[in-house]
This record gives sequence, structure tokens and C-alpha cells, in this order.
Amino acid sequence: MLRAALISALSLAALSASPVAFAQSDCKSVVKASPFGPNDQTGATNRVTPAVTKAAAAEIQTGKVTNMSYPLVDGVPLFGSRFTKTILTATSLAPGASFGENQLTYMEDTWLSQSHVGTHLDGMGHIGIKDCYYNQTPMGKFINQNNMTKLGLEHLKSFATRGVIIDMVKVYQDAGKLKTNAACKKPCIDKGTVITVADLQAGLKMYNVTLREGDMVFIHTGWGDLFEQFPAQNALYNSGEPGLGKEAANWLAGQKVVGVGNDTWAVEVIPSENPKEAFPVHAILLTDNGIHIMENVRTDLIAAEAASTRRATFFVNMTVPKAVGLTGNFVAIDAIQ
Amino acid sequence: MIDSVRGSASLSRAALVRGGIAAALVSFAVAVGAAAPERRYTIAFANAMEEPGVGVEGTGFTGAEIRQSFVLAARTLPIDLVFYDNHGDDARALANAEAAIARKVDLYVQYHRSAAGNAGVAQRLKAAGIPVLAVNEAVPGAPLYSLDNAAAGRIAGDALAQFAARTWAGQPTVAIVIGRVSAHPDRVQGVAEAVRKRLPKVRVSMLETQGNPAQVAPLLAPLLAAQPASKVLIAATDDATALAAKAAVEAAGRARDAAIVGHGVDRSIHGGANDRKELDPNNRAGIVLGSVAFYLDRMGYQVLPLALRMLRGEAIPARTATPHKLITPANVFAEYPPYDMN
Repeated sequence: MLRAALISALSLAALSASPVAFAQSDCKSVVKASPFGPNDQTGATNRVTPAVTKAAAAEIQTGKVTNMSYPLVDGVPLFGSRFTKTILTATSLAPGASFGENQLTYMEDTWLSQSHVGTHLDGMGHIGIKDCYYNQTPMGKFINQNNMTKLGLEHLKSFATRGVIIDMVKVYQDAGKLKTNAACKKPCIDKGTVITVADLQAGLKMYNVTLREGDMVFIHTGWGDLFEQFPAQNALYNSGEPGLGKEAANWLAGQKVVGVGNDTWAVEVIPSENPKEAFPVHAILLTDNGIHIMENVRTDLIAAEAASTRRATFFVNMTVPKAVGLTGNFVAIDAIQ
Repeated sequence: MIDSVRGSASLSRAALVRGGIAAALVSFAVAVGAAAPERRYTIAFANAMEEPGVGVEGTGFTGAEIRQSFVLAARTLPIDLVFYDNHGDDARALANAEAAIARKVDLYVQYHRSAAGNAGVAQRLKAAGIPVLAVNEAVPGAPLYSLDNAAAGRIAGDALAQFAARTWAGQPTVAIVIGRVSAHPDRVQGVAEAVRKRLPKVRVSMLETQGNPAQVAPLLAPLLAAQPASKVLIAATDDATALAAKAAVEAAGRARDAAIVGHGVDRSIHGGANDRKELDPNNRAGIVLGSVAFYLDRMGYQVLPLALRMLRGEAIPARTATPHKLITPANVFAEYPPYDMN
């Protein structure tokens, strides 16, 4: 009996040293703890308090709405096996298929799509280090064949907050260091360009903006001009991008923003500063700080608006569906001023 | 010839004087409490050859990829780069050095496969007080950063021999080195040494393709046919040859009898998350065991920090070698993170 108990104890000890158990305990040293508590699944949207939303509402002065989304349609830049496809069901338009005396007809769609396509939001479950995700979550324990059982989009709060556009093209033009890519029809910052803290600060200073806790920051690099040319420049668009370096990402995290978006497919500089690191800015923002990333955001219109009105702040109108267990989803974003 | 401008432990007197002045200015700035701007250096990189599509060092990498690695590496360093293309020509290499002298660069990185040409360049730059860092070919009086072809070959040979010892112990086995064998004797010798060290009874044969992958099958097929009962270890001197060898082995119906290792790790053999190339985490049972990394697409990341140390007056080794490593499906994404998945 004693021997059996000893064997059981040894077996348990061996199990506790297995990879699964290792991941669970190791996440505390791999990922930072959330400032919002050990059980938090909401991330930086916790910062969108009623007071933050109310203050942001003061940005609505003229009522002008500026679109910040690209169309989601066949041919936009996607990667490898990624796809987004719609199938229209229009059977009731067939002769005799209408309903009732009033001959009502209907149509609907089947949307077969991966979630990280077009203008989209990266959720907390999108990026981890090993199997450790936001808030030291050992993600291997919280997934099934269909979705995550933790950190899904359903936990996010509203994004009803203030947005800030940083026109990096203008910053680079003013500094005399803009090296545009010949394929861009409008000025753009070339791929591989590292956006620094000094660049961000220069962009904020340009319109006398001081970041506040709860802001969403959007950066106009001009690279989205290649997205707009789809499908002609898809390969170039996907081949790299200008974007945030690690230092700048950490600085933004220190400003306690809710999200960071720009007109590129990954927000961060590609190729990375260190060629042996994969998407380090994603890990800084999402995994360590719970700050959302918005990709393929159309920033040129609001950047132009800021240039003409000298106002780089606005109310963010962005909704994210309560899609249970999803890692991200396409979103529509408007800037209201 | 010059494309862009933007980064010496100059050991020369002139540079030391410049450094001394800079140090004095820094001390002054600190004394008055001002934030001293970081000193930027202008570094010239005279590339060996930038002919489009032409591989360098017997690999699938091009001169343009080497140049790009300098551009990328300089992004986070206080360095402005000036580029030149030596184009494999001594006269042009000398003219490039003269242009860099006229431009008063702080340091000159010379990559030119000509001892005579490098001697002339070294003489001119020394007279101008500009320190030199040599790449892949010695320059008189300059520290050298270079590939270690013998070490790379040994890594490839050892990987093959270990595989054979583990998988085919006791079975008749032959080894072949195929590719540009005459152009890269160190690489070939390294492979042979490593195979013989672990498998002393295995015969190592050489097949010369002159760098033409289309020659792989015609050379390999008869050898495979002549060794119907043997296992075959194949070390390819480059990745294109490794892939051609794989195709030839499969065409001969001998995939179960062969193991292949390449050299280079260029984009033809590894790719991104969606590329489905030979070295892919989802292809761990392939007969291409791996390829030895030459990191020519990251040379700038190795060379520019050395140049900065020279410019800051630090001692650097007389020779720094590329840290070659075997890249396999198991570690390819760690070594070359794919970035085609946003």
C-alpha cells in the first residue's frame, strides 16, 4: 500500500515536471502581470471609463465623420492561405420563390473568412510568448478546436474613447528625412523604417497633443497607399512595412493607451530591428500590456483632416462584435470631430 | 556608384585626434549639463559584387542582399552608410576607395575577392588615415570578418554522419559532396573531415557541377545506380544544389536511402509561415536534413558593430568568423522568424 502510494506520489511529481505544467508555472516569468488584476481578460479597454468616454465626447464639435476603414473585398492584401470570401444566397429572387401575397423576397450572405483580414483588431488571444498569453495565461489550457475559452473578444469593453492621429509622413517630411517608396502614389515612409519615440513625440507636438490615459493612437505612415492599390501592389505591401520599434512601443505602453493602429499590416517595423526576433512589438503591446492593435487602418483621410483643421484628436467610433472566443475580428472605424 | 549616404575604431593618428576632440567636447557638454548628441559615423561599404541574380560565396545569396543587411543593421546604430560596388574589378575597387577618401568617411569596409586589389586599396586608405575592416578576403593591416568555410563544411558533414550512425548503423554507406567543389575546397574538406571522423570506413566522392543545378541529376543518377544497396549521404555546397539533389534522388526512387545537407540557408530552401519550403517546421521527415547557415543576408548585423567598436577605439580580434549553424525544420522559424502572418 505504502509502495503504491509512493509510486503515485512519484508519478505526480513526474507529471508536474511535464511540459504542460511547466508552461503554467513559467508564464509568470514569461509575461508581465496585468495591471488590471490576476483574473482580467479585458486588457487596456479597462481604461475606457465613463469619465474617459465623456471627455472624449467633447471631441465632437462639427459632427464630421471620417472613415478609417478599407473595403473588405476580394483582392485586398492577404497572406498565404488567408482568405475572405462571401457567398450570396438569393434563392428567393427565383421566379415563384417570393413569399406571400406581397411577394417578399430576401437575400443573405455566408461569410467564410479568417478574422485577421482587412481593417481588423488583434485581441488578447492573438499573440503570446511560448504558450503564455496576456495576463500570464497558459493558453494551452484554454483552447479547443473552435475557439479560446479565455481572452476572447467578448470580454472587451467599448472603444468609445479619444483617438489621436500622428501624421508620421508629415513628421518625416518636415525633418527632411522622408524616403518614399516609388510605388506609393502619395508620399509614404518606406518599409523597414523604424518609428522612434522622438518621431512619435514630434508628431504629437505638431498638433499640440498630449496623450491621455485611455487614448487610441493611430499612426499615418502612407504605406496604406499600397493597400489602396490592391491587387497591384499586394506583394510589395506584404513584403515589409515602416512601423514602431520596440522603444516606441514601450513608450506608448507607458502612456497607458488603449490601442495602437496604423495603415500597415502589422503596426511594427518589418523587417524587425533584430532579425532573429518575431513581431516583438506585438508581444510588447498585446501580450505584456493588453493594448490592442488595429491593422490595415485607413489613416490618410483623418491625417488630411488634421492637416486642414489643425486638430489631430477625435472621438473613436469602433465596434467589436461580442464574438465569443475569437482572437480578433475585422472592424469598422470612424473618426468623429 | 554611390547610392546613399548615412556611421571607426580608427587606429590612425588622424582618427585618434578626431576622437580626442570629440571626447573633449563630450566632457565639456557633460560639465555644463547639456545632453550630448550621440556621435554619428560615416562608414563606407564597398561590396564585392551587386550583379542582379548573381550568387556570392558559392551560395544563393546576392550582393544586393548583403548590401540590404547593412541598411537594416544601421537603422539602430549611429551610422550613416555610403555604398560602393567593387564589381570584382581592381581598378574600380581603387576608384571606390579614392571616392571614399574624398568623402572623408570614418571607416571603410572592403569586400573584394582580390589580394592584389586589396593591397592597393589598403595602401591608399592607410595614407589617408582611414581604418579598414575587411570582409571575406584579407586586406593588409586590417581586421577580417569572414565566413569559415571549413567550419561550415564540418557542421554539414557531422550532421550527415550523425544521421547515418543513428539511422543506418552497420549498413553500407557512401558520401558525396556535390556542387562547386573546386571553387570551395575548404567547405568540401570540412565535410570530408567530419564524415571520416565519425564514419572512417565511408568513402567520400566529389561531383563538380560548376554551380549549375541542372548538372546535379546527370552526375548523381549514375552514382546512385552504381550503388543500389548503399545508403547515400549528400553534402551540397549550396541550397539550390541540395534541392536539385533531392529531386534527383526522388527521381531515382532512392529517397529512402538518402540524406542531404546544404550550405547557405537562402530563401530558396526556407521561407515564411505560408511558403511551404523544404526547411519548414511541418516538414520534419524530409530527406533534406538541413542547411548550414552562412547569414550573408545578415552580414551587416555582424560587421557594423565591429566597425563601431573600431571607431570607438576598442580592440577587436584580428579575425572574426561567421557563427555558422545547422538550420533544420526544427529550428528554422527560431533562426529565421517568418513575418508573413500578421
